[in-house]
Parts: sequence; structure tokens; C-alpha cells
Amino acid sequence: MMTKIALSFEFPDNLNVEKFITKLNKKIEYKLVSEHYMQKSFYDSFDWRLYNAHVLCEFNQSKNDSSLILKNSTTADNIALIKIDQVPCFANEFNRSALAYKLANLLEMRALLPLTTLELNVYKLNILNNDQKTVARLIIEDYWQFRCRVTIQPIKGYHKAAVNLHQLLVNSLSLTVIRKPILLAALKLQGRKVNDYSSKLNLQFDPDMPAGKAVKRIYKTLLKTIQINEQGVIDAIDSEFLHDFRVAIRRTRSGLSQLKRIFPSEITTYYSEYFAWLGSITSLTRDMNVYLLNIDAYKSSIPQYMREDLNPLEDFLLVKQKLAQEFLVEKLNSKKYKILLGEWEQYLKQFPAKETSPKKVLTIKQLADTQIWKVYQRVIQEGAVITKNTPAQSLHDLRKTCKKLRYLIEFFQNLYSINKIKALIKSLKGVQEVLGDFQDYEVQEDALRLFSDEMMRQQKVSSSTLLDMGVLVQKLDEKRCKARDEFARFFTEFNNPANKIIFKSLFAANSKKGK
Amino acid sequence: MKVIATYNIKGGVGKTSTTVNLAYLAAKNSHRTLVWDLDPQGASSYYFRVKPKVKGGSKTLISGKCELNGLIKGTDFDYLDLLPADFSFRNLDLVLDGRKNPTQRLQKLLQPLADEYEYIFLDCPPNISLLSEAIFEATDILLSPLIPTTLSLRTLDQLKAFIKENKNKLKNLELIYFFSMADQRKKMHKEIIASFSKQHPDLLDIIIPYASDIEKMGIKRMPLGAYTQKGRSIEAYRALWEAILKRLI
Ligand SMILES: Nc1ncnc2c1ncn2[C@@H]1O[C@H](COP(=O)(O)OP(=O)(O)OP(=O)(O)O)[C@@H](O)[C@H]1O
Ligand SMILES: [Mg+2]
Repeated sequence: MMTKIALSFEFPDNLNVEKFITKLNKKIEYKLVSEHYMQKSFYDSFDWRLYNAHVLCEFNQSKNDSSLILKNSTTADNIALIKIDQVPCFANEFNRSALAYKLANLLEMRALLPLTTLELNVYKLNILNNDQKTVARLIIEDYWQFRCRVTIQPIKGYHKAAVNLHQLLVNSLSLTVIRKPILLAALKLQGRKVNDYSSKLNLQFDPDMPAGKAVKRIYKTLLKTIQINEQGVIDAIDSEFLHDFRVAIRRTRSGLSQLKRIFPSEITTYYSEYFAWLGSITSLTRDMNVYLLNIDAYKSSIPQYMREDLNPLEDFLLVKQKLAQEFLVEKLNSKKYKILLGEWEQYLKQFPAKETSPKKVLTIKQLADTQIWKVYQRVIQEGAVITKNTPAQSLHDLRKTCKKLRYLIEFFQNLYSINKIKALIKSLKGVQEVLGDFQDYEVQEDALRLFSDEMMRQQKVSSSTLLDMGVLVQKLDEKRCKARDEFARFFTEFNNPANKIIFKSLFAANSKKGK
Repeated sequence: MKVIATYNIKGGVGKTSTTVNLAYLAAKNSHRTLVWDLDPQGASSYYFRVKPKVKGGSKTLISGKCELNGLIKGTDFDYLDLLPADFSFRNLDLVLDGRKNPTQRLQKLLQPLADEYEYIFLDCPPNISLLSEAIFEATDILLSPLIPTTLSLRTLDQLKAFIKENKNKLKNLELIYFFSMADQRKKMHKEIIASFSKQHPDLLDIIIPYASDIEKMGIKRMPLGAYTQKGRSIEAYRALWEAILKRLI
């Protein structure tokens, strides 16, 4: 059985590369293969998709070589490598390769962004046996800002050589094993750390915390998300900035409308209007982004020979998206946007979290229980009356109610048993997805019809493109009907007896008429 | 996974040089490549400086008790691995003969490596034997170097006849043959090549020249491409590899 050995090491205080190599010389036979200056840049998406999948993306540039490497962040093993002079922004801009494929899976629509660049000298040593065969490689990375690191690259079939080398480094040369990638140290130097952004809400509350204080924390977190994403939205780095920006707006709106009693009503109204406006100025850009993200799926849903004819639609959407983005940027630079967002920030800072009733302070747990229980019951009521013949509008209304419930559960999830909450979210998600599809397909059908009118009016469209769009509308309609048919199954699953019991046990305690 | 075996009934025709040099070129283009040295003389193992030793020898190997993957050695070159030879391979025939379906054995053993490697080169010993039959069944391309002598060319006919006799089992086998160690200064070589190409339109029109830089591989103990970037010899191997790649598509 092979023992897994550590592969990365750090120099002790008094050691430098020259001394290290001299010492090594006395112990083993090696050949210095190369020695060069290098710039090493790390890349990831804004929301750390690579790091969270235990992948490091390094762009290494030296005089004669420039390559992008994906590594396993725990074992430091290479996953894939390509020679490339510049790092494209999106996975689909890479030439086809194992690396591109892996990146596409991890990044999806997110841009690959540079995190930090380090300067170093790299030494590559081949460790040789008596036949002058390389039995292991040693990479010495002499960072300008950090201690020198050494990595063993074992060679298949020569495990023992790697083990011996490990022992030599640790025992004779006093190197220490390191398990954290240099990226972490480099980020620390910038005052940053990994996972400093996530679109997921993960708020911790003491159940007895006054509701006002807790709700304020929620809004503050959401405000931060809005602010963090703002520049990415303006620069249109990728579509996910706007997506997360909008989710934070919607969550804020949902909070304002559902957790009413926290703020004075004129305040709630004032900011509700503002966030509604903010939602509305972002929606056109988001719609265009979604159509463009869908274009590949559109293409693959129609016969191969027709796909080319969809290009004019793509061009049309690109023009529209550009206009929408310009409009959005103008709005985000407006006084209204900035002043009110500043006011909101100020208000959250000042708001004294005074409770409406001085006798009994409402706790966050009580508020969460009551509110979730109330909205849950609404979901059940609205869902239970839906049959095959119910008009679409009722499903759309239910979709909104489900979303409200989802946001509430996400705000307060850490107040409850995580396993139970997870199961509830999962089956709620099922209902939301099928309702979301049902609505999305309808919206897309309508939009495609409008687009075709508009394209006709611009007289830039051929009959084959229109034909394609017709086929698309039909395909979307089929999917919409399918989603409609599937609704019952997902709702029944959500409304199963076990879930009912969990909902009741978790949330009904504070409701006098909890049934 | 594509399996390429270099094979000729006759010895000393350049099989090992072809294997080692083509495998190097495949790996150089970042294709995961394995050389399996099936010749007890261990010539390819020697070129890669790997000890010609396999734990348990031919018996363990053929039994399948030990996964091939565990016996593989990384060479000094990226993407290029080697399954070394062992002196006991001289009785591979006997060991195979002791098994049910001996001619399907190599193919079975190679199966688990399908995801690991894009190209597997088999460096085969000369002679026609049970082992060569097993090799043919495991192989996609049978690559046969010929030297421009009448004796060597006769063995090609024997090989063709054998493939024809067994064409049921060898449906997917493609035979590619080409001249190697050809000395264009020798009048006889030139004449033989000219008349042979006329009679055999499917002969690959790439000739590996007789050249001292190829001979030097024995002293350098590495593939030609690892110490030469330019010249007729390396160009000829590059052309050969490209021609094979075309056939593989
Ligand atoms: N093109 C060439 N020019 C000069 N010498 C060559 C050439 N090809 C091979 N040789 C030399 O001829 C000898 C036999 O070549 P090689 O080992 O490749 O043949 P082989 O068919 O594998 O032999 P065997 O049947 O013994 O395995 C070696 O010494 C090799 O260096
Ligand atoms: Mg040989």
C-alpha cells in the first residue's frame, strides 16, 4: 500500500536557495533543468467557484513560457494545463481542451477574474538515479514576498524516491510541511481572504435577539451585497453581478413587505418604493441577459440545419442588451440611486431598533415563526385549489407566495434545525422551479413574438429566421405545457404529511390558532 | 484509447526505434501515451532508462492478479509512461498457452487503461507466435517497418497471409507498412523501394532514412526528439506520426 506523502514544504528562517541546493548536492544526485523569473497570477470567479471546488487556477508567465494550470488545492496535483498567452474571460472563449471543459463546468456563466500576482524565481530540479533516470522532480519557488516553497512532483512508479526525498527535506534540511496554497497568504497581504463573497445568505441569530435588531442585520447584509455587486453590474463583467444585485433587491423588498411592523410605516413605504424602482430599472437588462444566456439552448432545441438562421436573433438581442445596459448604467449613476441608497445605509445605522410595544420585546424567533407559518399556510391554501383547469394567473400568484416563503426561510434558516430546514427548502425548491419554468416559458414565448414583430418592422429579418423563431415558440410552448402538467406532482410532494408535520413543529408554536 | 503495435516477423528492422520515437512525438503533443515493452530484450525500457523488471514476471502479469497500472513507470517526459519489459517475457508464449482464450488476453489486460491513455504503443519481439496473435487482437494499427532487402519483404507477405487467414478475429486491424533504415545512397535500396512501391500501392510513402542520429539513440538513451529538433530523421518520424494520426481519425 502506498503511503500518501506531503508534497509542499517551506524553508526555515536561515535558508536560501543557494544554500539549499548546496546542501542537496551532498545528499542526492540531481540536475538543475531550469532557473527563471516568473509571474504567477491566481484566477477565480467573483464568488470563488473554483476554490470551493478545491481547484486553483494559476497563470504562470515567464520569458519562454506562459501557461494556465488548474491544480487540486489540497494535493497540489495538476489537473490540467494549457499553453496560452492571455487568459480569456469566459470558459467558452477557450479553445477546446480538458482544461476548458473543466472550467466551463465550474464557472458556468461567471467570468474568470485575476485575484493577485506574485513574483518569484523558479528552479526545476530532476532527481536522478544511477541510470541518470529522473525519479522525482523538485520545484523550488522563491517568492519575493514570501518564504521559499518547495514542491515534490513524484513520478509514477517511483514512489519510494518521493518518500526518500520527503524525508530528506524534512529531516536533514529542516523544511516544514505546508498544506495551504500560497494564494491564501497572498490574499492576506491584500487584506482579503477566500470566500469573501457569496451570494448565499448565512445569518446567525440568537433566537432571543430583538426582532428589530435582527431584521436590521438582514437589510445590512443585503445592502452590502448590492454595494459589492454594483461595480460589476456597471462594468458588465458577467451577468451574475446583476443577478445577485437583483436578488438582494428582491430580498430587501420582500423583507420590507413581510416584516412590516419593524419600521414605521412611512419609512417602509418610502423604501419599498425606492427598491421597487431599483428592481424595475434593472429588469430589462436582466431579461436580455437571460435571452442571451439561453441562445445556445434555443439553438440546440431546433434542428441542426436551422440553427444558423437564429444568428440574427442573437444580434438583435445583443443590440437591445447594449441599449438596456446603457440605460441601467445611467440610472446607477443617477442622484436618485445614490442618494437614496446612502439614506438607506444611514437609516440602518441610526435606527435604534426600538420596539413598538415596550412591555414585551418581540424576539426574532417569534417574528420568524409567525411570519413563516403565515406565509406557509397561504402557500398551502393557494396551491390546494389549483386543478388542471385553473387559469395561469393563479399559478403565477402561487409562485410569488412561494418566493416569499423561500426568502423568509433563507433569512432565518439558522434559527432552525439545519437538516429539517434543508429538506423543506428542497421540496419548496421543486415547486418553485416548476412554477418558475411555467412562467418563464410563457414570458419567453411572448417576448419572441414581440421580437419578431420588432425585427419585421426594422426589416432586417429573413423568413428563415422568423420560421426558426416560430419553431422556438412552439418548443417553448411544449415545455410550458409540460411544466403545467408536472405542477401537481411537485406540489403534492411539497405538501406531503411529513413536511406538514415539520412545518407545524418548527413554526406553529407562536401561533395561537396553529392548526 | 488506440493501440499501435510495431511488428515484423523479422528482427532488427527498426521496430523499437519506431515505437520510442513515435510515442515521444505523441506525448510531446500532450497526448497521454504508454509504451508497453513486450520484448524480453527490453530495448525500449533501455532507451527510457527504466529497469527491465516486472514484479512477478510474465506469470503474474498475464494472470491479471496485479493491475497493469501498478507496474507502470513514468518516463522523463511529460505524458509518456512505460510498462517495462522483464526477462521472463521470453516465455510469454508458454504462459499464454496455459490460459483459456489466450489470444484475447492482452486486450483484456489493456482494457482498464482505456481512460488513462490515448495511445498505447506495443513494442513487440520478432517472430510469429501465440503472443503475436494476442497482440494482433488487441491492436488497432499494426505498424510494420520494412528494410529494403528481399528477405525482409518476404516476411511482409507472410504477415499479410496470416492476417487474411484470421480476418474474422482481426476485423478492426489495420496494417500500415513503410520502409525504414533505407540508405538512399545504396543503389540496391533505391531499386528495391521503387519496384516494391509499384507493386504495393498501399505502401506508406514515408521513408525512415538510415541515419547516424537515429543510431545514436543507443548512446543517448533517449528518443530522437529529445535531443534533435531538426533534420531528415526527425522530420521523417514526424511525417510518419502524422500519417498514422490521419488513419486513426
Ligand atoms: N533508421 C536507422 N538508422 C540507423 N540505425 C538504425 C535505424 N533504425 C534502427 N537503427 C539501429 O538498428 C538497430 C535495430 O533497431 P531497432 O532496435 O529499432 O530494431 P528492432 O526491430 O526493434 O529490433 P529487434 O527485432 O531486435 O527488437 C539498433 O541498433 C538501432 O539503433
Ligand atoms: Mg526491438
